[in-house]
Amino acid sequence: MKRALCAALLAVGGVACTNDPYPSSEARERVLYVPYAQAPKTLDPQVAYSVYDHEVIANVYETPLEYHYLKRPYELIPGLVTAVPEARPLGDGRVAYTFHLRQGVPFASDPSFEVGGAGRTQRELVVADLIFALQRIADPKVGSPVLVTFSKIVGLADFGKRLAKLRDDDPAFAALRIDEQYERAGPIEGLQEIDGALVVTLGAPYPQILYWFAMPFTAPVPWEAVVYYDGEGGRDLFGEHAVGTGPFRIAHYQKRSRIVLERNPDWYGAEHPEWRAPAATYPSEGEAGDAEKGLVAPALAGRALPFVDRVEMRFEKESIPVFTKFLQGYYDRSRIPKESFDKAAAGGVLSPEMASLGIQLERTVTLGTYYIGFNMVDPVVGTAAGERGRKLRQAMSLAIDADEFLRVFLNGRGIPAQSPLPPGIFGFEESYRNPFRSVDLERARTLLAEAGYPNGVDPATGRALHISFDTGDTSVQAGLRYHFLIESWRRLGLDVEVAATSYNQFQDKVRRGAHQLYFWGWVADYPDPENFLFLLWSPMGQTQSGGPNSSNFADPRFDALFDAMKDRPNDAARLDTIRAMRALLEVERPWIELFHPEDYALTQGWLHNVKATGLTVPVWKYYDVDAATRARDRIAWNQPVRWPAFALAGAFVLLIVPGVATYLRERL
Amino acid sequence: MEGHVLGNLFAAALIGLALVAAWRVRRSAFWRERCAEIMRRRPIATVVVALYLGVALLDSVAWRDAQPGEASVEARSLLDRAFPTDFRERSYSAPLASVEFYGGEPLAHPRRHLLGTDILGRDVLHLALGGARVALLIGGLTSLIAIPLAILLGLAAGYFGGRIDDLVFFVLSTLASMPSILLLVALIMVLGRGPVQVCLALAVTSWVNFCRVVRGETLKLRELDYVSAARALGVSELRIVWRHVLPNLSHLVVITFVLTFSQLVLSEAILSWLGVGIDGSWGQMIDQARDELARDPIIAWNLVAASTALFALILAVNRVGDAVRDVLDPRTLREPT
Amino acid sequence: MLAYLLRRSVWGAATVLGVLLFLFALFFLVTAPQDIARRALGEKAPPEAIAQWLTNHGYDKPAVWNAEHPLDTRLAEHFRRMLTFDFGRSDADDVSIAQRLREGVGPSLSVTLPLFALGLPLALSLALLVAFFRETYIDRAGVVFCVLAMSVSVLVYILGGQFLLGKLLRWFPISGFDPDPSVLLRFLALPVLVGLMSHVGADVRFYRAVFLEESGRDYVRTARAKGAGDARVMARHVLPNALIPVLTNVVVEIPFLFTGSILLESFFGIPGLGSITVDAIQSNDFATLRVMVYLGALLFIAGQVLTDVAYTIVDPRVRLG
Repeated sequence: MKRALCAALLAVGGVACTNDPYPSSEARERVLYVPYAQAPKTLDPQVAYSVYDHEVIANVYETPLEYHYLKRPYELIPGLVTAVPEARPLGDGRVAYTFHLRQGVPFASDPSFEVGGAGRTQRELVVADLIFALQRIADPKVGSPVLVTFSKIVGLADFGKRLAKLRDDDPAFAALRIDEQYERAGPIEGLQEIDGALVVTLGAPYPQILYWFAMPFTAPVPWEAVVYYDGEGGRDLFGEHAVGTGPFRIAHYQKRSRIVLERNPDWYGAEHPEWRAPAATYPSEGEAGDAEKGLVAPALAGRALPFVDRVEMRFEKESIPVFTKFLQGYYDRSRIPKESFDKAAAGGVLSPEMASLGIQLERTVTLGTYYIGFNMVDPVVGTAAGERGRKLRQAMSLAIDADEFLRVFLNGRGIPAQSPLPPGIFGFEESYRNPFRSVDLERARTLLAEAGYPNGVDPATGRALHISFDTGDTSVQAGLRYHFLIESWRRLGLDVEVAATSYNQFQDKVRRGAHQLYFWGWVADYPDPENFLFLLWSPMGQTQSGGPNSSNFADPRFDALFDAMKDRPNDAARLDTIRAMRALLEVERPWIELFHPEDYALTQGWLHNVKATGLTVPVWKYYDVDAATRARDRIAWNQPVRWPAFALAGAFVLLIVPGVATYLRERL
Repeated sequence: MEGHVLGNLFAAALIGLALVAAWRVRRSAFWRERCAEIMRRRPIATVVVALYLGVALLDSVAWRDAQPGEASVEARSLLDRAFPTDFRERSYSAPLASVEFYGGEPLAHPRRHLLGTDILGRDVLHLALGGARVALLIGGLTSLIAIPLAILLGLAAGYFGGRIDDLVFFVLSTLASMPSILLLVALIMVLGRGPVQVCLALAVTSWVNFCRVVRGETLKLRELDYVSAARALGVSELRIVWRHVLPNLSHLVVITFVLTFSQLVLSEAILSWLGVGIDGSWGQMIDQARDELARDPIIAWNLVAASTALFALILAVNRVGDAVRDVLDPRTLREPT
Repeated sequence: MLAYLLRRSVWGAATVLGVLLFLFALFFLVTAPQDIARRALGEKAPPEAIAQWLTNHGYDKPAVWNAEHPLDTRLAEHFRRMLTFDFGRSDADDVSIAQRLREGVGPSLSVTLPLFALGLPLALSLALLVAFFRETYIDRAGVVFCVLAMSVSVLVYILGGQFLLGKLLRWFPISGFDPDPSVLLRFLALPVLVGLMSHVGADVRFYRAVFLEESGRDYVRTARAKGAGDARVMARHVLPNALIPVLTNVVVEIPFLFTGSILLESFFGIPGLGSITVDAIQSNDFATLRVMVYLGALLFIAGQVLTDVAYTIVDPRVRLG
């Protein structure tokens, strides 16, 4: 039985007995190896909205503004522009921002540029490219998810409507090249090129707009690439082929197995080192403590980026291989996914074994909040139930132990949430304690009785009150979490049942407002309280307007406070307003705030200049790798254990020889 | 319908069926002899299968006990009642450990969890035993749906032939030609999640097998002398089918059932991995190991318990299945009377 | 013979149509296209984008009946696309399905071909071995081993293989794929080994039964009575005559050569057709899933027809009328 197996083992073993997943030729190159858990859905910067998309896009495309790599709280620095613009009130309530684009910034060379003239492979970035990107956000055919935000730019939404109408009315127009369509649809009042600079005019003050100019949505794209990459005749789709100005360009893109980025030789940072552009040089200052971690050093300050020549990204869907390969030295950096490798970092400290290998751990609180939401239009748990519903929500909130949840599922990787605002966001206060967010079963039972559900029994049926907990996640792992939550409420006598359906059915339920309870998370687009509190603002109601307020929370008091808060600078008055909103949520309980996740990432000793970020930041240009140490350690860590192969072969011989001997004796 | 009511009904149906089968076996010398022979050939495997059945039945009979003034929302089965109430910890603990695996805090039930506890602190032995019910449900309910359907259609196709045969054979080959795992997933996506839906989907893919066997055998039986004789004597077709054809199919159905059973349970494990399995199955426990083996140090007891329980059942069923086939094989069979 | 083949082909074509009808009912009548669109474009997509998407994918047409243009329906479109192999674009990210299939065939074959090429000889030779030593302890141990091997879930083989051979013994990379020939082999070793283990039990048991049945026949007894040695009888008489059941078993496997092993590819990160299928399942990409089921069925039916042809070639005694 085992003979052939052994032979196969040895034969294969002879040629392939190594666990090195990379060709040996690249062992000493300055390459960064990182895993990714989900293939990017699209590389179109105006459309992409997931961290997996942005991980690639942020390093290939560039935005007018960027975040400072080291400073916290986050600070904007100029990216493609020469200075961060200031808000300029125009008197009539409008506000203008002037973006001075750098001159002489080239796009990475690409065959698509021949659309603009035969034989061309490259051209320089102009203001029109930035306008083109913003026009694409308005174009209904592109389907950008951030149109609502950018509609604050005067005339942008109208432009989209004009475009759609022209296309509908005139098939000849719809057949035109995309840049000509935009040209003919007419100018946008709030986007004007004046003296070689872009002037963006907003209809009303919205200071957060600058953060949006640090997100990939505003990355300039060449119209030639959009025209050329149409998915026909063997050409990629634009969503599968990036043409940007960034420090890296895509060398290989097979998103279900491997993505390779290589240093972009035409990058302005490399072509114009004399500019000493903030986004193209290593920063000289950072947050307190960065110097001790070696992140701020005279030897680093002002050095030209990027440090690595190539980034090899490998698709890893399963968590076992990621962690194993990291421990074998084949990944330089690995985010700790979900539940995994607790012991490696129990209590936020690295295990001694891993520390002795030179591995480092960094933790950052992600700018995010996970919560259990009530559907406020539901007759039982929602606003319609009046005081009964409020007390039911308060009681349910008092039964959920966020500390225990974090301990069980994330090994304490996160902090229990007291309000929607995570640390790092203005308005978060360390000392604030939400009276309904600590476990108090006695009080919960009292509230439940007052709500008319003594011991969780619904007098109408005589049975435990039945509440449905809707989810579109049917995985076993999610099931365990829901089980935990349900058991918590069961202690009050409530009968909460998980309704796990397909994601489509769940979404549909939420859209129709037919859900009762749901578990959801929100990660900040930009570091401003408005980006969290708008999730409970009534104009964002999911069922009515399709916005992200899936709780359909609508409270005029909250809405008034939100209006007062949203456009204010971060001053004492704003903090007071946020406190008032917090107090309101405390009592109304549209959410049971659960936790703010903490991101743990492991970094090999040979990878330098690593700082975790909670926002979309092109981090790879800052990383540096010591390839010689890596090559040495990899060999030391990966000596195969050979004896079991020989033992197996031996056992087989011992098993088979007597049989053959007997046979030969008896039958021949 | 609530889960435990369904479970009780299912248990009652199974016990009823088992009683009927036992009664039939006792009455018929042929079956009595065969059963004794199977028992003689594979004593251990038969006992193991019977033990699994017993555990599964214990776990199927469940009821709520409502204390006065308080609604108890959880129905507990006989198996649950064999374990102490609130027999759980906060999270992982190793087999027979006295402290938690992470953090090292003392356990509520030190040295009482024979196979340790899972991420929610549930006793792994309890979970593993509970998996037997799910396995039985998968094998049992699916067969309960698939076999009658297969016999009906297979008999009709094989005995009456013609258009009916063409139609049944068309449906058969259509379903058989699609990759079964994909068909299963697609069906469950459409039917929705839940034990009954999964069993229905499994029934759709597995009745093909039964039906083909029944149809083939009926084709043979139709041509046998005594069937022709009965027909010549003017016995009605239905009566022929009922008296002469159906009884001679039963051994084949039994063989196919035993051989299909292990396939069904193994399929569920794969469905669990694709996120469409049945809650509480061994497949789901194994699926959890994808996270647990990525920890450092690894947590293996959940995986080992579930895969051992699964392995032992499948092994026992396969061994019994071999014996069943050998004993009931038509080629070694005397002509039944 | 020709008439038989013709009849067989017509029957095969009818089955293909049956499969197509079934798929249509499953994927078009039961699931609303709007849901697929929202899933593809995200919750925040404006209604215009959804309408545009539906038009692009042809999902805005009437399902079955269109009074004005009887052929401008989703049913007609579905049949036209499938029968002309014009599969269109993925529901999840608009990539051409045909292109994705082309990319996936290579990685899939690079796992399944070695699996097939090693697995069949391995199973056949082991089955011959145990059949040769029948009723000795080797035979009994072999049978027990087979039943043991086939009672283990594939998931356990995969997880165990990765853990033992990849993590503990460090023989092979735990997962991954690279078409570069200098590293390809080391990536294939583990999935192929795991694949062999998960199949070998059932296959050996089946082939052993076939060999034993064949060696019980009269002509074998005659040969042996004439003094032919065991080995000679096995090689000259039993093996050739056992080819038909072997062939049947082999043909059933052929579709999986192309559609890939879903589990192996997924766990080992091989970007083949199996992975594509799992991705399609997980992202509700019905367009791709539909094509995969269709192609699987098509290959299966073609295999069946080919088997019948092969029968008449392998065994002239088989007369098909």
